[in-house]
Amino acid sequence: MVTGTQASTSRPYPQSKPRGSFKLAGETWIGVIFIIASILIPALSGSDYWLHIFLLLNLYMVVSICQNLLLTDAGQVSFGQGAVFGVAAYTVGIFSGLHGFPLWLGLLAGLAAGIALGLLFALPALRVKGFYLGFVTIAAATVMPEMLNAFSDITNGINGISLRVRWMHESWLLGMSPLALLIGALTIVTLIAHNYLRTTALGRRMRVAALSPETALTLGYRPGVVRSIAFLVAAIGTSLAGVLYGPLLGFLSPDAFHFDLSIFFFFAVIVGGSGRLLGPLVGTAILYLVPNVLLVDLVEYRLLGYGVTALLIMLLFPDGIIGTIVKQIRQRKTAIRPASIDLRPLLEMNFPKKDQRAAHADEPAVAVKDARRQFGQVVALNNVDLVVKPRTIHGLVGPNGSGKTTLLNVLTGLNRLDGGSVYVFGVKANHLPAAGIAQLGIARTFQTPRIFEDLTVWENLQLGLDANRQPSDEMLLAAFGKLRQPLSECWPEQLSHAQRRMLELLRCIGTGSDLLLLDEPAAGLSGEERTRFATLLRLLRDELHLTVVLVEHDLSLVWRLADEITVLDAGAVVARGNAAEVKENPAVQKLFWGERDA
Amino acid sequence: MDEFFIILIRGIGIGAVYSLVAVSFNIVYQSSGILNFAQGHMLILGGVFASIFLPQHASVLTWFVLLGAGALCLAILMAIQGYITLLPLKSSVEQHSWLITTLAVSVIISALILITKGPFTLVVRDPFPPLRAFGVVTPAAYVIAPVLAITACLALRWFHSRTLIGLAMSALSQDLDAAKAAGIRVRRLQILSFAISGLVVGAAGFSAGSILTITPTSPINYVLNGFVAAVIGGIGSNAGALVGGPLVGVLSMWAAYNAGGEYQNAVSLALLVIILMFRPQGLFGRVSARQV
Repeated sequence: MVTGTQASTSRPYPQSKPRGSFKLAGETWIGVIFIIASILIPALSGSDYWLHIFLLLNLYMVVSICQNLLLTDAGQVSFGQGAVFGVAAYTVGIFSGLHGFPLWLGLLAGLAAGIALGLLFALPALRVKGFYLGFVTIAAATVMPEMLNAFSDITNGINGISLRVRWMHESWLLGMSPLALLIGALTIVTLIAHNYLRTTALGRRMRVAALSPETALTLGYRPGVVRSIAFLVAAIGTSLAGVLYGPLLGFLSPDAFHFDLSIFFFFAVIVGGSGRLLGPLVGTAILYLVPNVLLVDLVEYRLLGYGVTALLIMLLFPDGIIGTIVKQIRQRKTAIRPASIDLRPLLEMNFPKKDQRAAHADEPAVAVKDARRQFGQVVALNNVDLVVKPRTIHGLVGPNGSGKTTLLNVLTGLNRLDGGSVYVFGVKANHLPAAGIAQLGIARTFQTPRIFEDLTVWENLQLGLDANRQPSDEMLLAAFGKLRQPLSECWPEQLSHAQRRMLELLRCIGTGSDLLLLDEPAAGLSGEERTRFATLLRLLRDELHLTVVLVEHDLSLVWRLADEITVLDAGAVVARGNAAEVKENPAVQKLFWGERDA
Repeated sequence: MDEFFIILIRGIGIGAVYSLVAVSFNIVYQSSGILNFAQGHMLILGGVFASIFLPQHASVLTWFVLLGAGALCLAILMAIQGYITLLPLKSSVEQHSWLITTLAVSVIISALILITKGPFTLVVRDPFPPLRAFGVVTPAAYVIAPVLAITACLALRWFHSRTLIGLAMSALSQDLDAAKAAGIRVRRLQILSFAISGLVVGAAGFSAGSILTITPTSPINYVLNGFVAAVIGGIGSNAGALVGGPLVGVLSMWAAYNAGGEYQNAVSLALLVIILMFRPQGLFGRVSARQV
């Protein structure tokens, strides 16, 4: 099964980081065409009024794209993007309108001010999430225009600021002014940038950090950092749009940045279809144009209009306009045919001849001493000792609630010990942050596999490869590369439960970690799948020299596979040794088979 | 010295309104995990009700009858809102759909007030004479609000611990799935909790109407300050809300006196951020233990 030929060394591994091979999604193409048309058509027809309307629409679309990134890619509920937009716009006005500094200086200052506010939002986002963050940001969006009035010596208060930049409005190319070209370019670049971000490791990490922070930690990075980056990126885009607002309108007043504006951006994303690339464009266009065209004379009805639209969309088409359309198309295309992951490339891969993973040759992979952990009155770990020798499969068995998962959580830093110590590859890990522990070379699976429905199966796998810090893993990467083609068109909903477990295991292998912690990986696997799973684990141990800690209820599998076994009951170690020894231990027999001579 | 007592008494009075909003937040949150963004709008609707129906020289009896009617109207309105909010949760496609639906309802209420009443400030005529204490004259509503807040908390405590429905509701807040498995009709109780929340916030809006700013854009201030009060006390804790409200009220009243009315929300925001950064579970909140 394991062939030793070197044939595939010459075959280049298909790069997972698409340099030069980045392709725009269909939605992006439609978006780009829409943006160009929205500016070119009014410009050619010579209608200043419509050009103005559509240029403003483009600025709003930029903010909505950033809001979309923040909401769906990073999972952050921010109702304050209007405030970022407003602060950027106002700073330009204060610098270049009131104080007569050159425009470029004003633009730079506006950009800096907007980004600063966006980063301020990231600060509470490190501590809180969901509706808490929503309230903090909506409060900020409410306070911002009030502050514009409060500091009227600086902002000119309700009188507003006039900012006329004549050269930017002069017709230059095909009836378009430099400002029109700039705004169009900004919108297109923002859209493409969002598309591109999603194909990068950072984009995938944002989504993981949003959906499952503990997975992010066990893959070795901190969700808070990723969230802050998302706020930064969104603030940059929003501020770029904000600084152009003043030059476009020629006038700034505090009323323009009322918190309604922030809610408008949020609704635009929802109505268009949160998560879809094209969503914010469509949502913004509908919410902005419909009231401005149909309800020109009925200004008061505008608010009602988009309140009702948002409510109805949420109730009738929770995926939004574009989301619903895409779902329809996708359902028609793939009537959810079951798919499976082909393990052969991994089972047949060419393993490195010499041991490249000798780094942790003799050190025990895991050494737990006197570990204690209590939840309220429940003692989950009661003075547990555990030593896992490197390059072995170590079985961890015991009844439900015996502390197996708690032990795994402690090993990965998701739970902390009350007493005792944990060493991973000789490094004391008690107080290391979870992400830091993962970087020592640990990967784990969860009882309920952390599979991300919005990512393709290949992207789910890529999360592991993204975290791979060992450039020497060429063979492994090559083997994974063979999976790319079949899996990049495949969605997790097509996978059976057992296949999802396998996917999570493969992701862990992909990280290049030396120690795998598997939490009930064989649950729900068929007999044949079990055999293949056992083959894979032996291969990992013998050829890749990995260490595996296996928490499992299927005892016969553990007896067959494990080199050493530790039996836990009620948080304490009952027995340890190889399969034969443990099986004969009376305490263990009592635990699993009841009293024989009863 | 007068200034000190004015800030203190009126701060506590308006703070009690924030407490009532916080308590009404808690009722819905306990049973469904939802925080209703439109809670301040419901409060203002109670005030709108008072401004429309309360006659100039109403007798105490009329006042109490209308208080009940107003509270009941808001209870029905919030039950409807609750039904709408909980609808998309059936399929659980979108966990955070309630963020959007409650926000949308708040926008709609603001828009409807704007369309029917215009952008003007509505006035509620208080039938009770102003009180004189500590050398300052205080409109009666500043005293009614704290009384109502304490009454509401005591009544809720009795309801949650002594009635069968109340106990079932407490069960929801402890463990939704277990409650479901025990045969509790979750959806009905959740809608009922919306209605009770409407009862509290409607009564608050009606009785404190004369000291509220009733305009189409003012509700957001009460949503925010009510939320800050709830966070200070610990979300879900009514006793905490009773402390948190007056704290926010006095501080923002002090800011209004010494710096100007436009600083009130800024002070509340600062308070909110400080609490969330250093004690996110609030003064009386519990820390949740388990993550994975």
